[in-house]
Amino acid sequence: MVVNTKEVTDKDFNIKRLAEELRNLSFKDHICIGCGICESSCPVSAITVGDMGAIIRNNSPQPKLVIDEHECVLCGICSGVCPADALTFSIANQPISEIPAYPKYNADVEIDDDKCIYCQKCEIACPREAITIARSLPDRSKLVTGEIEIAEDTCVYCGICEELCPADAIDVDRTPEAETINVDKDKCVYCLVCKKSCPVTAIKASCRICSYGDYDINLEDAVTKGSSFIDDELCIKCGWCEGVCPTEAVKVKKPFEGLLKIHQDKCTACGTCVDICPCDVLSFPKPAKSGDIVDNVAKEEQYCIKCGACARACPVEAIEVQISNVDYIPTKSKSWSEKFEALKN
Amino acid sequence: MELKVNQDNCLGCGVCVVACPVNASISPEVSGGHGALKEDTIMMVENGFIKLLNKDVCEKCGTCQMFCPVDAIWLE
Amino acid sequence: MPKHIVSGLKYLATIELKKKGLTQQKIADELEIDRSTVSHYLNGRNISFHCINVAETMTQLSSKDFLILTHSLFKNAEITQKIISICQSKVFKAEVLDTCIGCGLCVDLCLMQAINLEYLKANINSIKCCGCLLCQEGCPTNSIKVLEV
Repeated sequence: MVVNTKEVTDKDFNIKRLAEELRNLSFKDHICIGCGICESSCPVSAITVGDMGAIIRNNSPQPKLVIDEHECVLCGICSGVCPADALTFSIANQPISEIPAYPKYNADVEIDDDKCIYCQKCEIACPREAITIARSLPDRSKLVTGEIEIAEDTCVYCGICEELCPADAIDVDRTPEAETINVDKDKCVYCLVCKKSCPVTAIKASCRICSYGDYDINLEDAVTKGSSFIDDELCIKCGWCEGVCPTEAVKVKKPFEGLLKIHQDKCTACGTCVDICPCDVLSFPKPAKSGDIVDNVAKEEQYCIKCGACARACPVEAIEVQISNVDYIPTKSKSWSEKFEALKN
Repeated sequence: MELKVNQDNCLGCGVCVVACPVNASISPEVSGGHGALKEDTIMMVENGFIKLLNKDVCEKCGTCQMFCPVDAIWLE
Repeated sequence: MPKHIVSGLKYLATIELKKKGLTQQKIADELEIDRSTVSHYLNGRNISFHCINVAETMTQLSSKDFLILTHSLFKNAEITQKIISICQSKVFKAEVLDTCIGCGLCVDLCLMQAINLEYLKANINSIKCCGCLLCQEGCPTNSIKVLEV
């Protein structure tokens, strides 16, 4: 007998069939966006996607997706059409995204390290927290140049300079008869606040940039270095990173093209779509001034991936998502092609 | 998932009735805080307690649960 | 007495292979039995008519019953496939429709190992196919048609 087995870990699961080759379908709940594409594509109706509004908004203990492992035939179509890679299907431990016979979306995101200035705007904007920008700042002491000296015989160790120093570069020990004062030249930015505030004129300091310009600053030392990392598993190619990047270092290729329509007349502003949207596309608009009438829900359509999760969750059918084009690497299988083509509506 | 209520917890505040998007589309006056003019909303407050009238039309968006201050209405 | 029925099936296979002109040694190698056993079978010794009768009755069952019974007797896919293909005279033609989703369930169900997947579509080797219809019955999209020719 050929039977499927199911292993469940919290809200995640693996369905396996071990015969000729090991077939394995794994689901990761935290990656699922609840779009319902798997549910409508499953040829044996084995998948049920939960009530996403209730699940996401109230931290439900229920998983977003349930598969009847006795119905599932482990064909892998759900994994192929999942726009978020929450379902991964593998044959003999090789994911189908790596097996050429299987179709897959043409979707990609890339940060060009030559153009990236490590401003971290993408990291902050990413609705899925999929981006990490690690950066190492230049040594501050190499960006300033100057001289500072404290005449200890004049200094009265009042501590005024220490309190005022914006760079925490001065350390005054005011223990009676054992007073000391020290300047950390790696921290000092030669702002001269200490010199100006010293009541006994014990500090001699000058900023060389002020008098001579930055001729003795090495520009290479002023560069912020870093690296970028995108978690492919979490990334859903919404394009926020590309949209906020000031240097056009990010390129995002989305698999779906289409339209997001909000029927403001039907919308009751319950906010389900706002909470559901994996791409932070939807929001409640704020009126420019008191008394202005605004739309119930606003959209930033350039960041929409047309997944349809909002339309599926909307309790009053106020949202329509239309997919006009699906970009995927084709397959010789007619039934698989039909499943990808059927995503268009 | 199914919509459930616990009248022992309910304060009768009616926030769920007003917040519910399905109620608002069935009987628009409820979103303004008025009582529904019809009896086909999902729920209403009766004698100071929440009462489910038509839970079959609930779309399970979770709005009522999110706004209820005392866990008297929920989906499970 | 499953052992005796196994002997009966091997007897029938021996006779069939002899008809095809195989030497006794070749028959022995093919069926994984001693050459002397082959000789005994061919001379009608060492086997009861009852065993042969039961084995013959099995060959006249539906392809599915014959296959499943044989497989449960031998508990070995390879020898089952040999016995079935030698003792069964029917010829089948299998067709896979484009509605096939490439789930591979038929590959896993086929006791004759007659099916493989090519570009996400089942490919059935009609020569190996014994017409048991396990694949057709198990196919979730009704994409397999097996016909006797």
